[in-house]
Amino acid sequence: MSALPASARHYSAWSLLRARFAGSGYWRPLWAGRKLKPAYDVVIVGAGGHGLASAFHLARDQGMRRIAVLEKRLVGYGNVGRNTTIVRSNYLLPENHYFYEDSLRRWETLSHDLNYNVMYSPRGVVDLALTDDSMLALARRGNAMRLAGIDAELLDLAALERFAPELEARRKRRFPIVGALLQRRGGTVRHDAVAWGYARAASALGVDIIEDCEVTGVRTAGNAATGVESTRGYVQADRVVFATAGHTGMIGAMLGTPLPIETHLLQAMVSEPIKPLINSVYVYVSPGHGETYICQSDRGGLVMGGHLDGFPSYTREGVWHRLEDVVQGALELFPRIGGVKILRQWAGTNDMTMDGSPIMDRLRYDNVFVNAGWCYGGFKAIPASGAAFAKFVASGTAPDLIRAYRLSRFASGHLLDEPGQGPFPVRL
Amino acid sequence: MRQLPCPFCGARELREFVFHKTLPAAASATADASADEFARTYLRVADPQLSVEHWQHVHGCRAWLLVRRNPSTGAVLAVQMLSGTAP
Repeated sequence: MSALPASARHYSAWSLLRARFAGSGYWRPLWAGRKLKPAYDVVIVGAGGHGLASAFHLARDQGMRRIAVLEKRLVGYGNVGRNTTIVRSNYLLPENHYFYEDSLRRWETLSHDLNYNVMYSPRGVVDLALTDDSMLALARRGNAMRLAGIDAELLDLAALERFAPELEARRKRRFPIVGALLQRRGGTVRHDAVAWGYARAASALGVDIIEDCEVTGVRTAGNAATGVESTRGYVQADRVVFATAGHTGMIGAMLGTPLPIETHLLQAMVSEPIKPLINSVYVYVSPGHGETYICQSDRGGLVMGGHLDGFPSYTREGVWHRLEDVVQGALELFPRIGGVKILRQWAGTNDMTMDGSPIMDRLRYDNVFVNAGWCYGGFKAIPASGAAFAKFVASGTAPDLIRAYRLSRFASGHLLDEPGQGPFPVRL
Repeated sequence: MRQLPCPFCGARELREFVFHKTLPAAASATADASADEFARTYLRVADPQLSVEHWQHVHGCRAWLLVRRNPSTGAVLAVQMLSGTAP
C-alpha cells in the first residue's frame, strides 16, 4: 500500500534499474518547494518527525487536503536528525507500552507505507543488568510487557553470551554483568530517512512544507485561534498544531499558558567507521558514572548516547563531562574500542515533562493542539504519534491510545511516571 | 557553559556542581493554596533569556547556590549563596 499518487516517482527495484540507465535527470527533489498559501485547514508548526507524520496521516487517513507544515529552519534540523535512531517498546506502564508497541508495529511496515526505505533493523535492544536488583527490575518490566503481548526475554549470562558474543558477558570486569532484558524486535531506524520519507509522502499528498518560516504568534478570537503570524506573513488556519519539541515551552509562553515542561539537552556522538563489531543496541547503566547506549550504524560508526546534560538549556552544545561519562561506559562494555576516535558530537533540545511521558492535547484554545513532551524518547514514537494525533486533530476526540497523555493529568494526579522519580524533569 | 563561578571557590569546572531544580518564574498570587502548590511543583514559564536555579557545589565546598543563567547562550548572570529558603 503506497501513499503516493501516480504523478510522484514510485520507488521499486524496477525504478532503480531505470535510474541506472536514465542518467542524473531521473531523480527528483523528495518534496515540492511550494509557496505559502493564505489559508489552510490545518497549520502544523514544526517539520520534525511528529509534525511531518501528523501531516502525512491527516492527508492520507483523515482526508484533509489543505495542510501546511511550517518549519523555522530545515526539515530534519531538529531532534529527528539528532537522535541515536533506537526504536523499542520495552516500557513498564500499560499506557506507555501499548502506545510504543503500536509504534513499533508501524516501524515494521513503514518503508512500505511511505515507499521509502527507512532501514528498520530489528537487531534487538539489550538492557544490561549489573546487580541483582536491576535484574529484578528488568524482570518486572519484561513480565509487564509479556502480559501485554509484547516480546521480551530475560537472559541469564549463558543466554546473553549466545545472543551477544561480542559482549564477552563473562569477562572479568569492575562491574560484572548479571543478565539482561532483550527485546528482539527493537533495533534501529535510519533517522534522516524518516524525516525525508514522511516529507516526501506528505508532499506527494499535497501537503505544503514551508521551510525557513518561523511562527511568531497566534491570532485568536474568543475561544479559538484564527491563524498564525509567521516570518512569511499571516496564515489563516482552522486548526493549529504545535509539534515543536524543545521549543514547546516557548509556545506555552507565547499563548500565556505555563506548561509542565523544561528544556534540557541530550547529547549523542558517533565514532569513525570501523568494521562490524556491535550487533545489537546495548543499554548500560553503570553504578560508577551513568548511562551509555551504544549501537553501530550501517556505515560502521559507533553511535552513543547517555544521560541528559542535567540542567535547562537551549544551546545545543552539550557539556564535556557528559561526553566523558558516555565514552567511559562504552569502554567498560567494549574495552577494545579504546583506540577508536570520536568523529562528531552534537546535542538536541528535549522537552522534558514533569513525569517523563508525552503530552498530546488541546492547548488553551479549542482548535489549538500540542504534540510535545517527548523527552528523550520521541523518535521511536513518531509513527504512532502521527497516526493517533491526526485522528485527534481531525475528529476533535483523542483516540484511546493517547488519552492518557492529556495535559490535565498533572493537576489530577494521574501521572505516568515511568522511572518513578517524582515531579522532576531530570534526576541524576 | 564550561565553568560555574562559586562565590567561595572561584571558577570551577562544571562537573563539580550538581543542578537541583529550576525555580518557577513567579508563583501565582491566587488565594487557592492548592493551585499555587500545583503551579510551583509542575508548571514552568519558559524564558529563553533567564533561568533561576538551585545548584550545589557537591565536589567542592558543598555550598548550595542560587544561579541565574541565560539558557539560550549558556552565560552565567549571577551566582550567590542560597540562604533563607530550604533547598
